Amino acid sequence: MTGRRWARAPCLVVCTLAVSFGTAAGAEDPQPPQYGGTLNIGTVYVTLSALSWDPADWNWKTNHDAGMIYEQLFAADLEQTIRRGGRYPFRSEGWLPPESIRGELAETWEWQDPLTLVVRLRRGVLFPERPGIMAEREFDAEDVVWSFTRLAESPKAQPSYLEHIERLEARDPHTVVFHFREFNAEWDLRFGYGYYSSILPRELAKVDPRDWRNVTGSGPFRLERFVPGNSETFVRRPDYWDRERIDGVAYPIPFVNRVIYRTIKDQATQQTALRTAKIDIFEVVPWLAVDYLKKTTPELQWARYLGSTGQFMALRVDQKPFDDLRVRRALNLAVDKREIAELFYGGNAELFAYPMHPDFIGYFEPLESMPKSIQELFRYDPKKAKQLLAEAGYPNGFRFKVQVNAADPDHTDMLPLLAGYLAKIGVEIEIEPLEYAAFLSAMTTKTHAAGYLMRSGHVNPTTSLRKSFGTGQTWNPSMWSDPDYDRRLKEAQIERDEATRQRMIRALTVDIIDQAPYIWLPTPYNYIAWWPWVKNYGGELRAGAVRPGPIYARIWIDQEQKRRLGF
Amino acid sequence: MRAYILRRLLALGPTLLFASLIVFLAVRLIPGDVIDLMLSQNDISTGQDRERLAAALGLDQPMPTQYLRWVGHALTGDLGRSLWQNTPVTEQILDRLPISFELGLLALVIALTFAIPIGVYSAIRQDTVGDYLTRSFSILMLAMPSFWLGTLVMVFPSVWWRWSPPLEYVAFFENPLANLSQMIVPAIILGLAMSAVTMRMTRTMMLEVLRQDYIRTARAKGLSEWLVVTRHALRNGLIPVVTLVGLQAPLLIGGAVIMEQIFVIPGMGLLLLEAVSQRDYPIISGVFLVVGLSVLLINLAVDLSYGLLDPNVRYR
Amino acid sequence: MAVADPQVELVGPSRRERGRVADFVVRLFRDKPLGAAGGTVFMLFLIAGALAGLLAPRGINDIDLVNRFHPPSWEFLLGTDRLGRDMLSRILFGARLSVIVGFCAAGLSTVISVVLGGLSGYLGGRFDMAVQRLVDAWMVFPGLVLLIVVISVVGPGLTQIIVVLALLYGVGGSRIIRGSVVSAREHTYIHAAQSLGAGTPFILWRHILPNIMPVIIVLFTTRVGACILSEAGLAFLGLGIPPPAPTWGSMLSGSARTYMYLGPWLALIPGICLTVVVYSINVFGDALRDLLDPRMRGIR
Repeated sequence: MTGRRWARAPCLVVCTLAVSFGTAAGAEDPQPPQYGGTLNIGTVYVTLSALSWDPADWNWKTNHDAGMIYEQLFAADLEQTIRRGGRYPFRSEGWLPPESIRGELAETWEWQDPLTLVVRLRRGVLFPERPGIMAEREFDAEDVVWSFTRLAESPKAQPSYLEHIERLEARDPHTVVFHFREFNAEWDLRFGYGYYSSILPRELAKVDPRDWRNVTGSGPFRLERFVPGNSETFVRRPDYWDRERIDGVAYPIPFVNRVIYRTIKDQATQQTALRTAKIDIFEVVPWLAVDYLKKTTPELQWARYLGSTGQFMALRVDQKPFDDLRVRRALNLAVDKREIAELFYGGNAELFAYPMHPDFIGYFEPLESMPKSIQELFRYDPKKAKQLLAEAGYPNGFRFKVQVNAADPDHTDMLPLLAGYLAKIGVEIEIEPLEYAAFLSAMTTKTHAAGYLMRSGHVNPTTSLRKSFGTGQTWNPSMWSDPDYDRRLKEAQIERDEATRQRMIRALTVDIIDQAPYIWLPTPYNYIAWWPWVKNYGGELRAGAVRPGPIYARIWIDQEQKRRLGF
Repeated sequence: MRAYILRRLLALGPTLLFASLIVFLAVRLIPGDVIDLMLSQNDISTGQDRERLAAALGLDQPMPTQYLRWVGHALTGDLGRSLWQNTPVTEQILDRLPISFELGLLALVIALTFAIPIGVYSAIRQDTVGDYLTRSFSILMLAMPSFWLGTLVMVFPSVWWRWSPPLEYVAFFENPLANLSQMIVPAIILGLAMSAVTMRMTRTMMLEVLRQDYIRTARAKGLSEWLVVTRHALRNGLIPVVTLVGLQAPLLIGGAVIMEQIFVIPGMGLLLLEAVSQRDYPIISGVFLVVGLSVLLINLAVDLSYGLLDPNVRYR
Repeated sequence: MAVADPQVELVGPSRRERGRVADFVVRLFRDKPLGAAGGTVFMLFLIAGALAGLLAPRGINDIDLVNRFHPPSWEFLLGTDRLGRDMLSRILFGARLSVIVGFCAAGLSTVISVVLGGLSGYLGGRFDMAVQRLVDAWMVFPGLVLLIVVISVVGPGLTQIIVVLALLYGVGGSRIIRGSVVSAREHTYIHAAQSLGAGTPFILWRHILPNIMPVIIVLFTTRVGACILSEAGLAFLGLGIPPPAPTWGSMLSGSARTYMYLGPWLALIPGICLTVVVYSINVFGDALRDLLDPRMRGIR
C-alpha cells in the first residue's frame, strides 16, 4: 500500500491531533522500559462490566474485555501512532485505515483472485497450558476455522454479518483461505480486527467459553478475576510472543504485571479515583471536569479527542408531523447549534462531526465545503423555521414526546435547552426519561416516541450510514426507509476501489443530512488523562474494534517516578 | 412457643412463594426484555432471531412452566445461571452476600453506638438544650440524602488533601485493615442515617419506663439517678436494638445500592442493579429470594427475642 | 388534660374541637420549642412553595447560557445552573414540588395504611393472617430497588411517583396501624358497642378511628419527610420527576452533584433545603408524638 494519497488531507488532521499538555508528554523519556507494577484503568466504558466473554455471544463489548486475552488476525500497527511520529490516533471504534493494519495472528495475506483471500498464519504462537482444558500447544488454522464456524452457529448470530463469506478453509496448518461471495468494504474488520473475530483455541469446545474462568487465549494477558460491576483483573503472560520495539531494541511484552479495568458507575467517584491515583489512566474525562483537574492535579498528562459517538434528536419520519421535510428542517433551524457547541459545551464540541467522523480521512467532508442547503441546517434561523412550519401547515406549532436515557446527565441537561429553542417557534416537547435498557429497547423494537434523543457510534464510514439509515435497521431511530438509498448503500458496501467508495459515501452523507431525519447536534470532545509514570502511551484507545489490549500490553510504569510523586 | 415458631416457619413458605411470584412476573414486565437487549447489536433482527434466542435461553416456555421450573430448582438450592455470563447464580450471590452483610453490620453497630446513648440522654433530660442538640444531630443525619453526603465525602477530601477512601474491594480475611478502611465511610453514613430511628425508639421507651411505678418507687427509695437508669431502664434498651435489626434487615442484606455505587463496593445492591439493567432474570429472582428469606428469618429471630427480653410478650 | 400521663386515653371526638386545636398549639410552643420551630420552618417552606409564582425573580426555565454557572450575586441571589437558570426561582418552585410529593404521597400512604391495617387489625382471623403474609412479602424487598423496578415499568412522572411511594410506605405502615387497632379493639366500650349490635363500619369510624388518630397524625408527619427524601433518591438514579421540572432531588443529582466543586452552590443549596425541610418535619413529628402518644414505637 502506498499511503501517498493520505498526504493531501493535512487540513483535516486538526480534529484528530492529540493535544498534549504538561511536560513529559510527547517527549519520551530516554530511559529503557521497566517491568512490573499494576495498571489501573478507567476505560472508555468505565461504567460497564463485561457483558460477555464469548465472541459467539455477538456482543459488541466482548472485544474490549476478552480482547485482552484472545487475539485476532489483524490489529493496529501501533508504531504508526501520532506519538511515535505516525499519522494515526487509533481512537475510532471500529475502523482502522488499511495502511495502519498489521498482522497479529496473521503473518501475511493476499488476494489470490478478487474473491479469494489467502491468509498465512503466524508460526510459533502458543496457547498456554490450562489445566482441565488444554495442554500448551501451537495455534493453527483449525482454530481459525473452528472460531468462525462457532460464531456462525451461535443462536445469537447476526446472519448478515458474515454473509459475504461463502466459506473458509484451512489449506494447511498455517494457511487459511477465505472464499468470498462478494466483496465487502468492511472485510478486514469483519473477520480481521472486528467485534466478534477473536480466535479461540478449539479445546474450548469441551467447556463453556461464556464462563469467565474458562477464558484462555494466545494474547498477552490471562484473566485472573472478574467481579461484575467492580473489576476485571488481567495478569501478564510471561511467554507472550509479541515484542515492542523501542529505540531499536525488541522488548518482550507486556511490561506490567497486572492490568485492572475498574468499573465505577458514579461520575464523581471516577474523577476522585483519577485525582487520588487510584486509577492511572482515565479515558473519558468529561470536558467540564478538565480545567479543575488541571488546576488541582497539575501532574496529569492529557489528550483530547473528538468523541467517536454522535448525538442527535431522531425524528420519526414514519409519523406525522415528521413525515414532512419542511418540519424536520424547521426544527433544525430552530436549534442554535453553534451556541450549544460554544456555550453549553464551552467550545469543547465540533458543530459538525456526525454521521461522518473527521478521523475518517477521505470519507469526511467538512461543513465549509458542503452544499448551501446543508450549511443552512447548522445556522440558527428561527424566523425561517417558523415560516417553514407555517408552510407545512403548523403555524402555531405542535407538541411531541421526546424520550431520553435517564442515566445520561448530559442529555437530561441538554433537553430543557432544546425545549427552550423549540418553544420559540411554538413547538412544545414532553420529556420522558427512561431507564437505559427500556430506552434502548424502545428503539430496537421500534416502539419509541416521535422524538428520541440519543447517541450513536460512528463505528466506521460505511457502518455509520448503513445502520442508521438502512431500511429496517435496528439502530435506525428515524425509521428512514428509501429503496434508492438502500441500493446506493449496498453499492458503496461492495465497491472495491477505495477512492470511488469515498466519493459514494460522501455523496450519501450529503444526501441524508439534507433530509434532516434528525436534529443534528454538535459532537463533544472527551479527554484522556494519565499520570506521568504511565510510559509508552499517548492516549491511544483502540487497536481493533473497541479493543485496547495491544495498547495496554505496551505500557510500562516508571515505579521510581510514581514513588517520587508520593503514590 | 414451639407451636408459634413452627407456625411462623410454615408461613415462610407461602410468603416467599408469593414474593417470588411477584418478582418473577414484575421483572418480565419491565419494558425492554433480555432478548431485545441481546439482539440490540443486530443489523436487522427478525422474529425468527427472537424465537431462536428465546429457545436457547429457555424463555420460550409459557410463563407458569418457567416459574414452576424455577421454583422446583430453587427448592434444591439451584437458582439457575446468569443469562449473560452463564455462571451459577448461587455462586454470584454467595460472593456478594458477605460484603453486603459486613457493610450492614458495621452500619448497625455505628447506628447503635450513637442512637442508644443519645436516646437515653435525651429522655432523661427531656426538653433541655442537651436533648435538642443531640437529637437534632441524629435527625439531621436522617434528613440528609445519603447520596449527597456520600458525594461530599467522595469529592471534597480528594480536592483538598488528595485523599479518598480506598476504592478497590479487598476481602476482610485477605486484609482486614484495607477492607475496613473502604467500608467504614459508607458504614458511618448509613449508620448515622439509621441511628435516628433507634434513637427515637430508645427515647420513647425510656420516657415510658421512667414514668412507670417501679421507677418512681426506685427513685423514692433514694436510689441515684444513674443506678435507676442503668438497672431498670437500660435493660430494656435491647428491645430497640433488636427492633432496629428487624427494620433494617433489607438494608442489611442488600438495600445499600447508592452507597455501594458511590463507594464502589461490590455488594448485593449493585449485583441487583446490574442485573436489573441487563434484565438478567435468574439473578434478579435469586437475589430477591435470598434477600427475602434472610429478611424473614431475621424478623422471626427478632420477634422471638422480644420474648426473651420482655416477659410480658406472649405469642399467639 | 395531662398528656404526660400515658394512662389517660385519648377517646372519641370532642365537641370542643376548635378549642382543643388552639390549646394544642399553645402547648406545642410552650413545651416543645424545637418541634414548634420545626413546624414553623416547615410552614415557611409551605408558604414559599405556595407563593413561588410571586416570589421567584425569574422563570424556572429561563435559559441564559451566557450566565451559566454564575455564582451567587445580587443579580442571581443563589447563582445559576449549567443552563444559566436562576437557582432561587428553581428552589422556590422546587419547594412546591417537594411539598406536593411529600403531602400527596404521605397522605395516600397513610390512607392505605389505615385501611389495610385497620381492617386487618379489627377483623382479625384468617383475613388478618392473609393480609399480614402479603405485607410480609411486600416488606421483604429493599425499598429503593422496588422503586426502580416499578418506575421502570410505569415510567417516571409526578403521579406515578406519588402512587408508588404511597404504596411502598403505605403497606409497610399498615403494621403500625394494625398494632394500635388491635389494642384499641380490646377496650370495653368497643365490646359494649358490639354487644349493642353496632355495625362494623360504624364502630371502625366512630370508635376505632378517633382512638388511633394520634398514631395516624404522627405516621403522616414522618412519612412526609421520608417521601421527599425518596423522591430525591429516585432523582439520583435519573428516575425522578422528568426535566425540566425543578425538583430539589434532580437539582442535586446529575451534573450538579458530579461537578459540585465547580459551583458549590449548585449542589449545596438544594441539599441544604432538602435537609432542613426533612429535619423540620421530623422534629415537628417528634414533638407531636411526645404530646399525643408517648407509647408509639418504631416508626420509620
